[in-house]
Amino acid sequence: MILNSEHIAKSFGKNKVLKDISFQLEAGSITGIVGENGSGKSVLMEIIVGLRNADKGSVNRKGRIGYCPQKVLLFPHLTVQEHFNYFSVAYGLSSAQSKKRSEELLQHLNYKKYQQEKIINLSGGTQQKLNLSIALLHEPDLLILDEPYNGFDWDTYQRFWKFTNQLKKQGCAILIVTHLLSEQERLDRIYELKNGILE
Amino acid sequence: MTVNKIITGLSMIMRILIRQKIVMILLLIIPAFFLTIVQLTTSNRILPFQLASVGDDVFINISENGISFIFFAVASTGFLVAFLALNLIQKNNAVNRRLIICGYHPIELLISILLTLFLVIVFIAVYVGVLTNAFFTIEHIGRFIFGLVLIGFVYGSYGMLVGSLIKMELEGILMIVLLVNIDVGWLQNPLFYAEAQNQAIIKFLPAYFPSQTAIISAVTDYSATTATINGSLYGLVFLIFSMLIFFYKMRTK
Repeated sequence: MILNSEHIAKSFGKNKVLKDISFQLEAGSITGIVGENGSGKSVLMEIIVGLRNADKGSVNRKGRIGYCPQKVLLFPHLTVQEHFNYFSVAYGLSSAQSKKRSEELLQHLNYKKYQQEKIINLSGGTQQKLNLSIALLHEPDLLILDEPYNGFDWDTYQRFWKFTNQLKKQGCAILIVTHLLSEQERLDRIYELKNGILE
Repeated sequence: MTVNKIITGLSMIMRILIRQKIVMILLLIIPAFFLTIVQLTTSNRILPFQLASVGDDVFINISENGISFIFFAVASTGFLVAFLALNLIQKNNAVNRRLIICGYHPIELLISILLTLFLVIVFIAVYVGVLTNAFFTIEHIGRFIFGLVLIGFVYGSYGMLVGSLIKMELEGILMIVLLVNIDVGWLQNPLFYAEAQNQAIIKFLPAYFPSQTAIISAVTDYSATTATINGSLYGLVFLIFSMLIFFYKMRTK
């Protein structure tokens, strides 16, 4: 088991966003979480990743984690390549590993031509490609994606799912927050977050 | 903690800072603008100036424009460093947290930020010192630049504290402008200070010791050691608080 979360609860003031959330993720699986705006999906992701504390409950993770936040989190004045370099150092990758992996991601998500561009000069879709690439850079065992394809065109969307399926075959556990129920057939399991619990 | 992470952090933070046009414009223009205003508005009449940190009865005679140049050099250095420190600690807060999730330790990131701030302080102090000397010959330029480094340290630490405490950029800038204006821009002005009714309050403000160090060092042979030590302690308190808050906010859960 890659991820085991038990009885997670989180409130903001009197608003109980998460009441009692328990679920597990197995290696080589894709799990989806759907829910209305404001249902607490992103809060749950942030608790799993370690950005927030839960009021109650526990989260046990194994292996390397890759996290793609819903909001693009990048340095506006650094280039795409500088982001790869900076985050590779954070992950502890060697320069050879970093070069190989960043090249693969640039090719796979089709944005190599923007490699030396600063983030402020990129479109929202290209920024999102880099936002996602950073989560994939170190070949994680657990991948947490919070609406990762916002702003993607159809071709990139298809490439994204192709790449995600490859990762699944390699044994990566993927947790994905989505609005699109049409993606159901791509997922091994799907939960709906409603009234603070997973159904 | 790895040296590679700290050096990479330093290199990236420097690039982020240098590539912001507003930073470079402020950095180069503000001191030149302040000093030009002094040149245009002050006279050459000689004034007695009290060296309060040396002794209550210690006065020197200095021209109005001379003391004003020194004072405005201190004010512009304090303002610039505080603003840049705020910018460093506050602007990319969420992305910095992402770096920490990805493997950076908050201390590694903090050391990178502090090293960047140190380089910024030295650069501003040297630039403002040399520029001031072009308007008014400073007797001890090296010691004067050291005084500017000290005000940079105190106000840089204050900027970091504000940036760690306050999330919103506008409120942060307001806090900086407010204190810089009242403290460095008004109360530490030697022309106001000499006539102030309650000088004890002024002595407790952050810019008191650094501005004394800068003035004593620039135009007298008196020792500025006491003022320097007190100023350093003041800056250190700000720095420790800002580091603790940064560490608390940045740690993973």
